[in-house]
Amino acid sequence: MEKDLRADDEVGSRPEGGLRSEIMNRSGARIVMEALVREGIDTIFGYPGGVVLPMYDEMLNWPQVRHVLVRHEQCAAHMADGYARATGRVGVCLATSGPGATNLVTGIATAIMDGIPMVAITGNVNSWAIGKDAFQETDIQGITIPITKHNYLVTNIDELPQVLAEAFYLANTGRKGPVLVDIPKDVFIAKTEAPFPDTIHRRGYTVPGAPPQGQIDEAVRLIAESKRPVIIAGAGVLHSRAMDELLYLAETTKIPVINSLLGLGSFPRDHELSLGMMGMHGEATGTLAVQEADLVLGVGIRFDDRLTGNTSGFAPKAKIVHFDLDPSEIGKTVNPVAWVLGDLKQSLEEVNKLIEPQSRPEWIAQIRRWQEIYPLIVPEGRFLSRTVLKALNAHTKGEAIVATDVGQHQMWTAQFYKMKKPLSFLSSGGLGTMGYGFPAAMGAKFARPDEEVWAVVGDGGFQMTLQELQTAVEYNCNVKICLLNNGFLGMVRQWQELFYDNRHSHVAMGSPDFGKLADAYGVQFFRCSRLEDLEATLKGASDHVGPVLCEFVVEMEENVFPMVGPGAANSSLLMDPDLEPSEAAHQVGAFETTHAGAALS
Amino acid sequence: MSTHQHTITALVQNEAGTINRLVSLFRRRGFSLASFNAGDCEDPGYSRLTFIVNGDDTVVSQCLKQLNKLIDVIECEDLHQETSVQRELALIRVEPTQPQRQEVYDVVSEFMARTPSATESTIVVEQVSDAANLERLITALRPYNITEIVRTGTVAIKV
Repeated sequence: MEKDLRADDEVGSRPEGGLRSEIMNRSGARIVMEALVREGIDTIFGYPGGVVLPMYDEMLNWPQVRHVLVRHEQCAAHMADGYARATGRVGVCLATSGPGATNLVTGIATAIMDGIPMVAITGNVNSWAIGKDAFQETDIQGITIPITKHNYLVTNIDELPQVLAEAFYLANTGRKGPVLVDIPKDVFIAKTEAPFPDTIHRRGYTVPGAPPQGQIDEAVRLIAESKRPVIIAGAGVLHSRAMDELLYLAETTKIPVINSLLGLGSFPRDHELSLGMMGMHGEATGTLAVQEADLVLGVGIRFDDRLTGNTSGFAPKAKIVHFDLDPSEIGKTVNPVAWVLGDLKQSLEEVNKLIEPQSRPEWIAQIRRWQEIYPLIVPEGRFLSRTVLKALNAHTKGEAIVATDVGQHQMWTAQFYKMKKPLSFLSSGGLGTMGYGFPAAMGAKFARPDEEVWAVVGDGGFQMTLQELQTAVEYNCNVKICLLNNGFLGMVRQWQELFYDNRHSHVAMGSPDFGKLADAYGVQFFRCSRLEDLEATLKGASDHVGPVLCEFVVEMEENVFPMVGPGAANSSLLMDPDLEPSEAAHQVGAFETTHAGAALS
Repeated sequence: MSTHQHTITALVQNEAGTINRLVSLFRRRGFSLASFNAGDCEDPGYSRLTFIVNGDDTVVSQCLKQLNKLIDVIECEDLHQETSVQRELALIRVEPTQPQRQEVYDVVSEFMARTPSATESTIVVEQVSDAANLERLITALRPYNITEIVRTGTVAIKV
């Protein structure tokens, strides 16, 4: 006997003909499960509630799709995001109407800023109750318009297969992003014979392919002419899997490669042409190279403000060539002289066909000098966040997947974690979402169970989403948490120190006894506050099968350097006060490099 | 770069939330929207919209690109005055004194406007023209106690 899925919490009376007759053969809930299987989705992240009861009932019939029950819907979205970043596949999250749906919002906004393919499925109240302020009704379509690539409210069951197929297609093509599908409860229950479409065609939506030849020719000409070129490679390279093409371009033309935060992993960090990250806390060499460059190739980046600094002072001597697939990125923040619009992999392939081998001994020598003068440093004999992250890098050999939260530890991870592989650095670069790191790491671990996965978090951000420790325990999600506890919201404290006369306002952060907390959850715990215990702690964490919380009690007031102040140009770089000024520093000449200590005294 | 008024037309697919999505884009990206008009067009299931946008060339170029990025938008274009026909309809209700009524009809005649409705105390003036001409008509009617103005916003078509 077919179970009647209609719950008794329906609002209003059911209109005549509200449900289709029994000849229709699959329910909306079943169609959602069919769509997941069709798209190759093996894991989804969600939380049940009133209007998604039909969905959760149907789910029991589909053991091939694992549902991870989170403790807060925000983390369902972050886990879906981590799953997507670690695989390139679409991450899927599921929530009920009202508060369930609104709890997804931060995770969806995180995903759109970083171009992460995600499908968020929400239940809504019965279609005939929409607009009547029913219990747990919210206009999630309206709420998520600015933070989705596209969204749908499906009120007609016959449209559901088409909409779901389209949602996955839109999420994972072109410039990727989250797509939300809002499904009223009666549509989960209603039945239809409507099939899934064989192909997706949306008028006016084209997936970028190869760029026009003229754009390629111009880029090749500018590369050949340049004396001091740099590449700034961003997340677009990872999204379009253009890592090999980027490597070939850089090696053939001897162009140094700098990464944006989210571009990290797109170029081998141990490569002689890799200059690491640039931006507000990028390595000095990359920032200086861009200041001196005569050509900047922006490849799959959006020239955001944390990278460019004040745009009026960005790359003052350079012609900019912008490679991207999104026309709206061209000229949005900086003015390129040329651009190559198309799929990055194809764009770089075409460029690589025409480039001639070049060598740039003087330019490379200049860059080596900067690297010698301005290395990233970790003072010896102290127990700093940097000390821990440098050790984590050595311990994992850069081969683990690392997800970060947001703040100082995020920047230090970007500086010191030399990831060897793509899709192994997960961080909320655009939205800057605290609380992202731990659930994102879990999403990555669910997607790639054979990889070692670390979440690097601070004491502030971790307290935003630590309830997922229970989820980790239940699913034996083997994630290692590197908790850098300095008792502060460190980045905010740093800004208060540097720009607000060191007046601390609400940045001291109390924490529970993390050992007792881990014990309460049944999570393996290590606390480490001494240099001599560091390696053993990391090894202990890796050796344990199951979730591990490692609390590193680090020095409280440590700052991230180099730093470009907010609103400042990249030429005014605050250097680490611990960095010994050398004679050679004066050779930098044109650059107004300032030692923070001197500048602030 | 100087700020100008631009006339942008867009062909969009009609779905739940389409208009919301378009207007939301203007709001959140800070594009200055002077007017917009939406209506059915030659394609069933699609609408054609006309936006009047204030901005310099960079802003308007970014506005077009952002519009194009919306999945609902099939195509959009910045129309030039010389190669397009641009019209707006206005309904203006005036409540002149009795001695002024003939003067209102004189103004209406001078502007080749129409008066689809008149009562003892009110006259509704209807005009279809470009925005500048409408402004002149409204100025000419000011002395006669305008009590309500309703305008459609400009609609435009390429020649």
